[in-house]
Amino acid sequence: MTVTGSRLVIAGAVLVACLGAPLVIDQTYQLNVLFRVFLFAGLGVAWNLVGGYTGQLSLGHAAFFGLGAYGLAIGSGKLGLPIPVALGLAIALAVLVALAIGLVAFRLRGPYFALATIAFAEVLHLTAKNLPDVTGGEVGLQVPLIFPPDAPSRWFYWAAVVLTALALAITALITRARFGYALLAIREDEDTALACGIATTRTKLHALMISAALTAIGGALYGSLFLYIVPDQMLSVDISNEIAIVAMLGGAGTLLGPLVGAVLLEIASELFKNLFQEAHLVIYGVLIVVVVLFLPEGIVGTIASALRRRRGRA
Amino acid sequence: MTALLAVDGVSKRFGGLLATSNVTFEVRRGETLFIVGPNGAGKTTLFNLISGFLAPDHGVIRFEGRALAARPHVAARLGIGRTFQIVKPLKNLSVLENVMLGAFLRTRRRADAAARAREVLGFLQMEAVADLPASGLPLATLKRLEIARALATQPKLILLDEVVAGLPTGEALALAALLQRLPEWGVAAVAGVEHVMQVVMKVAERVIVLDRGALIAEGAPADVVRQPAVIEAYLGAKYKDVIG
Repeated sequence: MTVTGSRLVIAGAVLVACLGAPLVIDQTYQLNVLFRVFLFAGLGVAWNLVGGYTGQLSLGHAAFFGLGAYGLAIGSGKLGLPIPVALGLAIALAVLVALAIGLVAFRLRGPYFALATIAFAEVLHLTAKNLPDVTGGEVGLQVPLIFPPDAPSRWFYWAAVVLTALALAITALITRARFGYALLAIREDEDTALACGIATTRTKLHALMISAALTAIGGALYGSLFLYIVPDQMLSVDISNEIAIVAMLGGAGTLLGPLVGAVLLEIASELFKNLFQEAHLVIYGVLIVVVVLFLPEGIVGTIASALRRRRGRA
Repeated sequence: MTALLAVDGVSKRFGGLLATSNVTFEVRRGETLFIVGPNGAGKTTLFNLISGFLAPDHGVIRFEGRALAARPHVAARLGIGRTFQIVKPLKNLSVLENVMLGAFLRTRRRADAAARAREVLGFLQMEAVADLPASGLPLATLKRLEIARALATQPKLILLDEVVAGLPTGEALALAALLQRLPEWGVAAVAGVEHVMQVVMKVAERVIVLDRGALIAEGAPADVVRQPAVIEAYLGAKYKDVIG
């Protein structure tokens, strides 16, 4: 069997095991924690396309997350569309907003790009707060339950696993294609990428649009699980940060990094929350500082570098 | 037949500095042209204008008769390949992947890009470093990598910005010998910026001389180096003694 073939078999087996987990774990609380793990894994993998492979540090992915949930709620609740249509609309909306944000923000490089993405997400945050007729303002908005009402936790868990698998599959395909190499070239040196004939702005836009579509699906799932959304929850800086941190903790620009990051961060934060109540945020913060200082390439990135060095010596 | 590249009355100003001053010249198919001149004469600016990284304030640059807009990726697609004087490797990628990125301009398939990249690396005698990361390579290798990446885009015109400068003499001459073989790779014309006169004299068929942004001399290398204006501006009186 080829290396790719055996990797596919392993990936398939892990996917089946993850999908089968609710047969063993059937408590709502545990399933909801696992939902959060896979939700943020999927979001981290989606963010990684832009923030990791392309090297464009987005700190505004809450914009696409929130648009997914608000798009679903408004499309289904206010416009009375069927749920699949409303979901499709929410994704399309996030992709269009990604295009608009990218056209402006990708004119900027480095920290200025990151600041611009924060600003755009904050604009959406404030817009949602101040448009009560459309978004319900600070009071919030009801979101339809997109899964059967009996045992919905299972369905949400499965959906999050599928989202993560989808994001991983898309990333794996992209990194093997010319498009993926173009993303890396942009990260490493934009001038060299241009000299290689790569339309850098268009390439970055495509990456951001794919990332936004996946992020919107995650937002719609999250909103539907809670059945009710408010701007401070869906469009906050906290969401943007958590998505970016999950990916960077595990390893930006590595396929499995965000998955590892989500498992560690979400489970750790859940344990600390139970053990230390409000003090868990301190421990959470310290954990991030330790990783940034000692493992700047993230967990998977550091391991991969060590393996490369060892192979180089051998 | 029209010239491959025609630079027509091009000027570029950076604040108070006129980096390129009403420069007009052509690069003909089949020739190797070198641009020489003192530091700050505007040589790299001229390359940045030709390859679309800068827009001229005045004048037009035509490639195969068509006026170029200042869009570097379009210039690359049309067939203008370039190297960077200050080398710009993709550090976290392997040498092979660096060259593949050039090759991807003409093919979608990864296997084709890899095959093309290996051919080019073979030509430049870089097979041994193909799988090493581009970070941590010596400057001589990085200069060759710049050429390899540009060559992999299958350019009609290749712009070589000081690819020889800074190399020990033996390596400089070995590289110069390879540059003379670029036409085997379908390159219709070579334009180089270079300080190493030994290499310029060996490789160039025609030379233009820039000083403070303006073109002050043009012609066969042996003739140009005898012109008083060139000796005054660039080569210095000592050089006059050398060539007698």
